[in-house]
Parts: sequence; C-alpha cells; structure tokens
Amino acid sequence: MNIDLKELTQLAPIFRELFKGYHISRSNPELYSQLASQQDQYRGLFKALGYELTCDSRGFYYFVPEQMGAQVNKTAQRLALFTFILVEHLADQGRDPLAVLDGGSLGRDELPALLEKYRDLFLQAEVTTQEELEEKVMRRLTQLGFASEDNGIYRFLAPMHRFLDVCLSVQQDRDLAATLHSSLPLPTPVLLDEEAEDEIISLAEDDADESEEDALARAMAEERDAQEMDA
Amino acid sequence: MIDPKRVLRALAEHWTLLEPLCERFDAGTLSLVELRNQLAAQLPEGTPTDVTALLDQWIRLDILVPVAKSPNRFELNAQIHDFLAYLRREHRLGLCLEIEAYLRHLERLAGYIKDAFEVRDAADLARQLRLLDMRVRDVLKKLANDEQALVAVAERAKTSDRQIPLRQRYAEVLATWDEYVEPMIQLVAADGAFEQGVYRVEHVLLRLLGEQQRLGQLVDDDLLLRTHARILEMQTTAQLTLRRARELLLPLREEARRHNAVTRGAALALAAIRKKGLDAVPQAALPLFSRPQSTFLGTASQVEAYVYALARFEPKPAQFPKAHTSRKGEAPRAPRTAREMIERCEQALPLPDLMVWLLEQEPEGATDELLYWFSRLSRDGRFQRERLERRDYLTREHQVSLSSFALIKPAGTTV
Repeated sequence: MNIDLKELTQLAPIFRELFKGYHISRSNPELYSQLASQQDQYRGLFKALGYELTCDSRGFYYFVPEQMGAQVNKTAQRLALFTFILVEHLADQGRDPLAVLDGGSLGRDELPALLEKYRDLFLQAEVTTQEELEEKVMRRLTQLGFASEDNGIYRFLAPMHRFLDVCLSVQQDRDLAATLHSSLPLPTPVLLDEEAEDEIISLAEDDADESEEDALARAMAEERDAQEMDA
Repeated sequence: MIDPKRVLRALAEHWTLLEPLCERFDAGTLSLVELRNQLAAQLPEGTPTDVTALLDQWIRLDILVPVAKSPNRFELNAQIHDFLAYLRREHRLGLCLEIEAYLRHLERLAGYIKDAFEVRDAADLARQLRLLDMRVRDVLKKLANDEQALVAVAERAKTSDRQIPLRQRYAEVLATWDEYVEPMIQLVAADGAFEQGVYRVEHVLLRLLGEQQRLGQLVDDDLLLRTHARILEMQTTAQLTLRRARELLLPLREEARRHNAVTRGAALALAAIRKKGLDAVPQAALPLFSRPQSTFLGTASQVEAYVYALARFEPKPAQFPKAHTSRKGEAPRAPRTAREMIERCEQALPLPDLMVWLLEQEPEGATDELLYWFSRLSRDGRFQRERLERRDYLTREHQVSLSSFALIKPAGTTV
C-alpha cells in the first residue's frame, strides 16, 4: 500500500487527538471529513505504527488500545455506570433515552437530581458531589469525545453508541441475568488504569514501565562504559 | 328518503362546527349535554334554542344518530363519518383481513364469470365483470386509505416523542406492525393469498379473452382488458403499500425494540451493580479507550515529530565515534537515566522543593524534560512527598505554574 503523506493533511492533529483517547466524530468536521475521505490510508499508516484505528459506521473513529493486564479502568466503569443511570432516569421520566444519548442534550442543572436519585450507585464509582460528577464523569466524556459542552448544556455525540452497545450486550447477556441471582463473583473488566485525577501530569508507574526504563538505563550505561573502555 | 342536496348543504354550511366535532367523535360518542356544551362554546352568541335547532336539523338529516340502546348519546352517521374522514384526510387503518375477504370475493366473482361465459349469458357476464371491477376499486381505495393511515401512525410516533411516554408512543407502531404489516407481508408474499387470488382471476380473464376470439364476443374486449389492467394495478399497489409500510414502520419498530433492549440492559446492569458492585458489568462489554498519557509524556510538537519521523523513516548508516580517537573539548552529555536521577535525588534528601532542586541540577534542561523528571521523581515509591503551594518556576524557556513537592525519606528507612 502506498501512502501519500501529502494527502494526509490533518495527520498530526488527527494522531494527537486519537492518541489521547479522543473519539473523532462529526462534531469535529475537519478531522472527521479528512478521516472519512482517506480512511484506508490513515488506517494503514496507523497500523504500521502499531495503532489500530477503528472506524465505526455510526460516524466515529478511535484507537483501540492494547489490552493491558488485569487492571480495571475506573473511567470506563464510571462512564458506563453514568450511561446506565441516565438511560434509566430518562426512561423513568418518559423521555427517550436514545434520543438524548444519540445526539440529544442534557442540562447541567439536571445533574443534582440525578446524583441525589442514584447516590448509592454513584458512591460505588467514588462520585459523591456534583463537582466530582462533573469532574470525573462529564469532563471525561467531553475529553474523550463522547460529549461536548456548551453553556451548561451537554450534547451527546455519536461515540456514545459505544456505551449504548454496552447496554445492549448486557441485555443479551443471559449469564448476567442468571448470576444476578447467584452468589458467584462476576468477571471483572480488564481495562487500562486511570489515575490522573489529582495529578497535573500522569505517568505510568507500573512494573512493566519501570523495568523498561531500567533496561534502557542499563543499556546506556553499558554503552558508555564500553566507550570509555575503548577510549 | 333524505335529499342528498340538503345533507351536503348542511355539511357545507356547518363545516366550522362539524370539523371540531369530528375529532371528538373520532375518540368516541358524545352525550347530549356534552354536544350542547361543545356547540355552545363554538357559538358564543347562540341561545340554547339555536343549539337545539341545530341539533334537531342534524338528527333529521341523519348526520347525527343516537347510539344503540343509549338514546341520550350520539355519534356521527358511519357513512358521513367516513366521508368527513376522507375530506379531512384522517385515515383509519383497516384490517388486513378485510383485504383478504375482498380477495376471496374476487375469486368467487371470477368463478361466476367463468360460469356465465360457459352458459353464454352475456348480461350476467357483464354484470359480474362490473362487480369484479368495483370490488377491485374497493381494494384500491382501501389500500390507498391504509397507506395514508400508516403515514399518520408513523408521523404520530415521530412527532409526539417528547410529550408522551415511550411505551405509549411506540405502542401504536408495534400494534400496527403486528396487526397489519405482518399479516400483509404474509398475504402479499409470492405464495400468499393475494398473489394466488390475483393469479386465478387474471387467468380467468385472459382465458376469456382467448375464448371470445375463438367463439365470438359476449362482452366488449375493452371491458375485459380494463378489468385486467385494474387487477394488475391492484397487485402493484398492494406491493407498493406494503413496501411503504415497511419503510415507514420498520425503522420505528427497530427503534422501539432497540429502545426496549437498551433500557432493559441498563436496568439489568444497574441491578447487577447494586448487588455486586461496579465490577459486575461484564468486562468484555465495556469499551476500551486509549489512555496513552499514562505511559507517554510528550509535547504536541514531539508527537508530531514522532509520527512524521516514523512515517518517513529511512534507514541510513549510523556514524559511531571511532574507537581510537579521543574526544576534544566537552563531551556531549548522555541523557540522564532514571536510575541515575533517582540516586542523585536520594542523596540530596530531604528536598524542600523538588522543582527548585531540578532547576538547580538541570539549569539548561528543556521544560518538558524537567516536567518529566518532576513527575517521575515525585511519584517514585522511594520518596515520601508533601504537596507545596502552587507557584511559578522559571525554566530556561518557560514560566511554569505548578504545585511542587517537598521530598523526604519515607519513615523507617535508614541511610
């Protein structure tokens, strides 16, 4: 496959956004149209670099990360929980959850009632105040391209389908319904860790990274020693 | 016998009063009191006697008829109601069974036509052909009416979304699908009653045409050809109506199903989480997203450079320094390794301010490199840290605002 970099005019911003975990959808028209028109080229290039670009036919693009270890991604869990809660809350109110979560909007002023109603569930996701709800959930949704925020109104974007898909797969999961009534533990999600909330910069501290750095340091030290010996 | 002209004149004259009443009558019957109140509201200047006169006139003209066994309740005469519904483009969806009944009748008529031809009864043949033609027109009329009614069902479902509860909104679509579209699909299928009925009637008509040429005419060929053409039109219309019904209702039905599935899924997931905690949601279901910040730190320009460098990578021979030549001047400094920095940091403990120490150590260091070391060292398990107040620090190129840390040895460790 021949990739003409001249045609990939938005390569740098596209890569930067995808690399951050952002979902590119029509709300970002410049990047989206470029990706849509050069989809195969981008996919080929990113694949060669070791990134898997997923093109969802419902109108969004994202990188699929490699599954790492048995760590639990708090963010994914929190956002999924928020989606479940919102779907139920809207359905209870007689509103159409799909209309809201697929291109519809939610006012910031609706959050306190939501938090109050589902306090026990939010507590499990370590969300206890409205500030935490905005910080740990709403801000994450906008950062990852699931929603956009304008003047206290959150508009949900096409990538929310990823969470709606979770609802569908849960619904189809007969095992889940069965295990609800059993005492066996359920499988835990295997997801990337999320711990950047109190840090201005987040860096991995896991052992794999540590040893990689150490290995690099060792290699460099050996190289230096070898040079000095040669000299 | 009521003079049709008088009925039509009354309808035209009182249209402004009748039209709103139609909507009320669409929903059910009205008692005399309700009728009077409704009319009184529309005729603010009318006396009760005027209202009585008006109602009397409508009853006399058979526009209003008393409900069977409830003489004080009234409804619109069914024929008038249908006529007004047609004028108001308010179509009520019929039953698929009606079409099926019409088709059976068409088949029977085809049998009578065949019999009449066999006994060479020209008058009966013409009469049966006319009946067949009218029956086909009935089917066409019904299909057109049903199509309009289906459009209305879809429109109601689409437009009233925010007001009425979802279950209600979709109920009509789902019921329409089950009671009309699904049986229609069966009816109009290749081996369904519709196609077979049409085929039989068509067969009789075509045979008749051939026989007439052979045995001599009993009826005008044109009449046969017209009827045949109308039957084909009916067949096409039925297929088009069905296709339109599917186009209109299938997406809504799918939406309804999806909605039910999503809501049920969410409720199921919440029930599981309530019972077993956040980990109850099956891992495979949750979306994964990249969090590369957790393993990579780079400025925007570094990321761009990285991608471009990889994309444009061309192998070229590396120039290693020659082993025998000794370096002149200041040797280029190798990048610091993590181990090296941690060791230096450990030796310098306690550090009242990590960022200040870093700036002293690496006065020429690039900002992103300093921030990397700041983050790396402040999070290292070998140090105990204390958050300091946010303040500004000046690197070689930038002014950075951050809350630094004071680093000390963790309690219980010795030198």
